[in-house]
Amino acid sequence: MLNQWLYIGIFFIIAMFLPAVAIFLARLLSPKKPTKIKNSVYECGMETFDPTWIQFKIQYYLYGLIFLIFDVEIVFLFPFAVAYGNLALFAVVEAIIFILILLGGYLYVWRKDALTWQ
Amino acid sequence: MEDQIFVSDLPSLDTLYPGKVTLDTRSGYSGFIVPREFLLEVSTEIHDVWGYDMLSSITGVDYFPEKMEVVYHFYRSLGGGALVLKVQVPRDDAVVPSIFSIYNGAEFQEREAWDLLGIKFDGHPDLRRILMWEGFEGFPLRKDWKEAYYEGDTKPFSSRWPEGVAEHSENKNIFNDNVKYPENFDPDKWIASGEEALYLGLQKSENGKDMETESIVINLGPQHPSTHGVFRMAALVDGEEIVDLKPAFGYLHRNHEKIGERNTFLQNMPFTDRLDYISSMSNNFGYALAVEKLMGVKPPERAEYIRVIMAELTRIESHFMSTGFLLNDLGAFFTPALYALKERELILDVFEAVSGSRMMCNYFRFGGVVRDLPAGIQETIKNLAFERLPGKVDELDQLLTENEIVRSRCMGIGVLTAEQAINLSVTGPILRASGVPYDIRRADPYSIYDRFDFDIPVFYHGDVYDRYLIRIEEMRQSVRIIQQAITQIPEGPVFEGKPQYQVRVPAGEAYGRVEAPKGELGFYVVSNGQANPWRYHVRAPSFINLTSLRQMCLKYKVADVIAILGSIDIVLGEVDR
Amino acid sequence: MIDAALIWEWIIKSLILIIFLTVGFMYVTVYERRFLARIQSRIGPNRAGPFGLLQPAADGLKLIFKEELIPANADKFIFLLAPIITVIPALIVLAVIPWGEAMVIFGRQVNLFISDVNVAVVYIMAVTSISVYGITLAGWSSNNKYALLGGLRATAQMISYELALGLAFMGPVVLAGSLSMVDIVRAQQSSLWYVVLQPAAFLIYFFASIAEINRAPFDMPEAEQELTAGYHAEYSGMKFALFFMAEYIKMIAISTIGATLFFGGFDGPFVDQIPWLGPIYLLAKVVIYLGVLIWVRASWPRIRYDRLMQLGWKIMFPLALLNVIITAVVVVLVN
Repeated sequence: MLNQWLYIGIFFIIAMFLPAVAIFLARLLSPKKPTKIKNSVYECGMETFDPTWIQFKIQYYLYGLIFLIFDVEIVFLFPFAVAYGNLALFAVVEAIIFILILLGGYLYVWRKDALTWQ
Repeated sequence: MEDQIFVSDLPSLDTLYPGKVTLDTRSGYSGFIVPREFLLEVSTEIHDVWGYDMLSSITGVDYFPEKMEVVYHFYRSLGGGALVLKVQVPRDDAVVPSIFSIYNGAEFQEREAWDLLGIKFDGHPDLRRILMWEGFEGFPLRKDWKEAYYEGDTKPFSSRWPEGVAEHSENKNIFNDNVKYPENFDPDKWIASGEEALYLGLQKSENGKDMETESIVINLGPQHPSTHGVFRMAALVDGEEIVDLKPAFGYLHRNHEKIGERNTFLQNMPFTDRLDYISSMSNNFGYALAVEKLMGVKPPERAEYIRVIMAELTRIESHFMSTGFLLNDLGAFFTPALYALKERELILDVFEAVSGSRMMCNYFRFGGVVRDLPAGIQETIKNLAFERLPGKVDELDQLLTENEIVRSRCMGIGVLTAEQAINLSVTGPILRASGVPYDIRRADPYSIYDRFDFDIPVFYHGDVYDRYLIRIEEMRQSVRIIQQAITQIPEGPVFEGKPQYQVRVPAGEAYGRVEAPKGELGFYVVSNGQANPWRYHVRAPSFINLTSLRQMCLKYKVADVIAILGSIDIVLGEVDR
Repeated sequence: MIDAALIWEWIIKSLILIIFLTVGFMYVTVYERRFLARIQSRIGPNRAGPFGLLQPAADGLKLIFKEELIPANADKFIFLLAPIITVIPALIVLAVIPWGEAMVIFGRQVNLFISDVNVAVVYIMAVTSISVYGITLAGWSSNNKYALLGGLRATAQMISYELALGLAFMGPVVLAGSLSMVDIVRAQQSSLWYVVLQPAAFLIYFFASIAEINRAPFDMPEAEQELTAGYHAEYSGMKFALFFMAEYIKMIAISTIGATLFFGGFDGPFVDQIPWLGPIYLLAKVVIYLGVLIWVRASWPRIRYDRLMQLGWKIMFPLALLNVIITAVVVVLVN
């Protein structure tokens, strides 16, 4: 089994070459004549007003948190799915309870209106 | 008070408000003169009591060297003719009270008058320059203001033909001299002084949320893929939500009106093509009407029919384009836009056949059109009106109207109520989508529109979706008009009188307006009997409809702003002039 | 156990796959442009080479010779890192896809896959979520407001749809009883294609995967009309090309994964007798799948961002969950 991961490792290393070669080639061939105006930030031709890196709207992070919880729970479901054919009834019931707990959290978040984008 | 209003009546304000209003008795002029101290009072009266709820146009005329005159055109949203008010002020003390508090639509027009004529409006909330840049010196539409490389007051410039040889003053300057900067000016370091005023004018929301986050200022434009040109909106956003938004434009400004005043009357005809370059025939129409009013000529029957056919073809073509590009603004990858452009090309073929040009038609003349329809084109138009276009409008309708994404993106977005729309001087499809059945073709008929059988479509939600629907429906009505016109069109001359380069226009003023595809297109022309107009003002529908942009965008998302802008359907050639 | 020949075999296979993906990416761009043009009654690029086939080469050359600009206030290291982080997961996600039956080449028994790991589905989910980092970092490091908005949108969007995507995988996994892609294909060979047995899962997969790779009508992070170019607004030259490449390779990837999970992968008539038909079948399915993706892009406007998030959380996620439960119940009943 470890072999299989080794092959992916080989593939990964070879895949690294592609962007590396591309960036290297471009660095070799492309002209470099930066000026102040060229290197200014693009905002439709206007000077950027106020800093860009600010404390941004919280909702994006809220989604991140909710996602994290559910994603982990889904990953836990995969072993159930694989072994589903050979599971005893008890395990199936367990899986269903697990999904129900998942649903409980989901409904709570829904009720709290965290899923509605404001 | 509603029952006092009679649509056809023009109240004789001079007898009703003696001492405050006097009749304009100059020959060739009409309307009433109001001293500036009574302006607010009188305009409140005509708004509340006499039902003149639509402010069509505000402009100024510089009667050099005596006085400055501010001209207001009011209409009733129920229909009928104009009520014209004039305020005369000395040139060196050109201050007039702002009527913004009564007519919100005055916002941009007062700014324009300040910018170009130097008329100060007392009480205007944000009186900044609008078309010229902040820091520009002088007021270009004043008669004593001279442009760089000034040659003369009126065209044709005699200096261009010394001893019969054409010489252009642009060529007299070698290029280097042309880019001389003022002292202490470094283009790399220069920051326009108006920017701060614009950004700080954006209002932050006041509601104290428990999780306070910062909002940022984003410029959408001028170099932006979907502002339909060089147009800019400074938006204050919180996350994705628009907290405040202000449009900024004038990047394409060429002082159309000053050039128009240098030109002779006829030279302005091709110049109007460049306003809303999508629908040049309508622009010709409006200008021709205004000057014909002054001259007192009437085009022959056949010419009237040709004019109507061309104007309606223009409407279809313009609506096709705006519908296609509205979909582009919604993020559809060019497919609807290209389908729409395909039909537009067929209409442009007709324009090319009759006028020789696809976009800059220059087809109308004072008293008719420049030449008769070429052989065979009548068949082409018939074919378009009876076969091709109705089917294609239906096809567009079928493909888009029921599309779930289009509906969810457009319904309930950018809502403008009927009262808001009227108050903001909005005209055209946007006004009718807000539930006001106001179409100049019916409300104040011009040309021969009273002969045709067609409906004015109205929708009541005032959102982007209704503005889309109304354009589809208007295309159908325009097809109906063309169908009637092309079957009824009589034989005969297409021009009244003898064609001439230098038309004689008696002194006076005239306001000609047409229902252009984008809204009410008005031309206010003042003649003093010379070969050139003394004043040539364009009431550009795109420009004035933009007054409502801020109102429509607040509280919606960044993506909606683009859709709303697309639904207003602006053409920057007309906005910036 | 690991001999040199075996390592070489895998290096060669990796190289072939990488080259195939690079060339594939180039021709997907041509495919898209030509096909879009046909839909829009245009011709499309046809000047560079026969039928415009050299167009991608010309584009690539142009991009290599373009000056690369880095905004003055950007975080330079992350700015450079972001396109690399985006492109590598797009490439390596395809390592677990089987391309055909084992074949005998030069007297060697060669498996037509890079790797047959037993958690392939989880691997796919893990790797695809890495590319979110690239996009977020690109958006943040540019110090550009459009890019920042685009990057944030991308993050929130991709994580929202990953849940539905993960649950959509669950259906085939339950039916096949394995997380290995090879096993899933084998299971489909012995029964029906899973698009028949799991139509709901397929639909959820189809839309969630489009959202995952930010294609129209879910191309919020780029959203040309609003955010000019979104997260890659500041990128130029080769770095821009890498983002572009990542996007198209991801298109190939989701088409391949979709074809494998729901359309039998390399399965097709006579594939057990003539093994080299396998890759051809898979390729044909991928090309058709890509065609549908392009068709969708040509036909639909973009969904608004908040609606997109609602669609993800309030419709797709519960539907996917429901689908898993129904599948589980049905499997129990059938057994």
